Amino acid sequence: MRRNALIDLTGAVILVAILALLPMLVASNYLTGVLTVCAIYGIWAASWDFMSGLTGRENFGHSLFIGAGAYTAGFMGTTWFTDPWYSLPAGVAVAVIFSIIVGFPTLRLRGPYFALAMLSASAILQRLCLIFWEYTGGEEGLYGLDPLIKNPLHYYWFVLAILVVTVAILTALAHSHWGLLLRAIRGDEATCQAAGINATFYKIASLAISAAFAGLGGALYAHYQLQVSPPLFSVVVSITVIIMVYVGGIGSIYGAAVGAILLTLLTEMLRGFGEYRLWIYTLTLMLILFFLPNGLIAPAWRRLTERWR
Amino acid sequence: MLQILIYGAVSSAIYAMLAVGFTLIFGVARILNLAHGSFYALGAYSAYVFTAIFKLPLFIAAPLAMLLVAGFGVVMERYLVRPLRHSQLAVLMITLAVSLAVEQGLFITFGSEYRNVPSFVADKLSIGGVDISGQRLLALVASVLMLCCLWLFIQRTRLGAAILAVSQDPQAAEYMGIPTNRIFSIVMAISAGTAALAGVLVSPFLTVQPTMGLLPMVKAFAIVIVGGLGSIPGSILASLLLGYSETIVAYLVSTSWTELVSLVAVVITLMVRPSGLLGRRAAF
Repeated sequence: MRRNALIDLTGAVILVAILALLPMLVASNYLTGVLTVCAIYGIWAASWDFMSGLTGRENFGHSLFIGAGAYTAGFMGTTWFTDPWYSLPAGVAVAVIFSIIVGFPTLRLRGPYFALAMLSASAILQRLCLIFWEYTGGEEGLYGLDPLIKNPLHYYWFVLAILVVTVAILTALAHSHWGLLLRAIRGDEATCQAAGINATFYKIASLAISAAFAGLGGALYAHYQLQVSPPLFSVVVSITVIIMVYVGGIGSIYGAAVGAILLTLLTEMLRGFGEYRLWIYTLTLMLILFFLPNGLIAPAWRRLTERWR
Repeated sequence: MLQILIYGAVSSAIYAMLAVGFTLIFGVARILNLAHGSFYALGAYSAYVFTAIFKLPLFIAAPLAMLLVAGFGVVMERYLVRPLRHSQLAVLMITLAVSLAVEQGLFITFGSEYRNVPSFVADKLSIGGVDISGQRLLALVASVLMLCCLWLFIQRTRLGAAILAVSQDPQAAEYMGIPTNRIFSIVMAISAGTAALAGVLVSPFLTVQPTMGLLPMVKAFAIVIVGGLGSIPGSILASLLLGYSETIVAYLVSTSWTELVSLVAVVITLMVRPSGLLGRRAAF
């Protein structure tokens, strides 16, 4: 077990080192920007995987928390002119509050019903953003946020560090007693209840943790783009995150993060294909569903390192 | 007052057509079809292609659009959904992938701008001092007729009895010699066809654009939750409730607030009566 952890740690260190050094080898602001987005998607995918991958309650409205975090940062930056650093904890707090409000009625629903309820919730929030256009800026959103860190390279390193911390915390939680309980709830909720486990508490708490990191990523994204707009709430964002987790391997938090980084890089490379990009995404999803139900990254890593284990 | 009555009836009827198809395929095949909104959008776009480009008259264009979309639904069910039916979540993902692919396909083919579909009936009618376009009235009459036919079909024919049997217990139905998989295809065709007809009927008076399917999809889902998953009378009742409350909100407050009615309805239903108005407890 200790040996396995060492192998995984070595792999993680090598990957993070490559990611951190890449923009120094190829000095281009474009690449740094792309890698920043990669890291933010990594945070989103890992946070989605923590709640949905472990408990099996697929959250089709993760963009709700992402958008909540981002818009909090947007309001703080453009309406209240606070120091940009405050928007990170504020974004987390608002996302957590949203997760509790939404989680109570929706988490009582099983599997697909929960997925659909979250999907509607995020669609409605996007709609609310357009209705209250006087405050949210409507279609154009809010822009003119201050950057957290002026130097893009330093900002990238900061986001990468947060990604590493996120994956470390979530993996530790997933391997703890807590994670075991969540997997048990996935298996058979009624039995868990009968065994005296408060399943509702664990489900809502894990949704809140998942939302906290999604909101953090949202705030980071807002300060990277220096603007927020309603598409952040859109179903497309949630789906993109879910596809990334599927590619990474559902239930393995590190796989989700790596899947997110790879798919974001891939979409950047496919930018020339313009409007066909979403087709490539959906095609990827269909192929994964049919041929690799366990995902690509996590099983590949396990097979790669089997010899030394 | 009369205006609220008539306009509410029109939107209720359209919602009912969407929700009945959605709940039917769920009730019979346990498929939660996230691509249901794309059937609606495809119906509207086929109406646009057949009437505005090929200049076909309505009574040819509408059945053609329904057939086309029903065929699409059957193919999707057969080759994409059926192999993944062992996992409900995989079904959700694949139907979602289809709806994204359709949306993007419409976007690439037709662009994101709104399309105008010529009105099928140009006349304006006046009922008790309320002006209503013939098109809306046609939508109302056609959907009520369609729902009646569907009800008669399910209650009175052998095929309808088979559908009911499969919805009650697919395995037992299979043992009784009912070809379950063929029933699934038929139900999918009906479901896609009714959604497409709803799209065709609204296309002249609503905006036709690639993302038009998402919101009706969310509403169909809300209706189905309120009415009870899998219950057809429940979804018709909930359609009436939602259609009328939206119309009343539109008149009293503003049209931009109507979208919230469905959310509030879903939240209240989930808290007070999770199985829906006419649903069975077993659904949850």
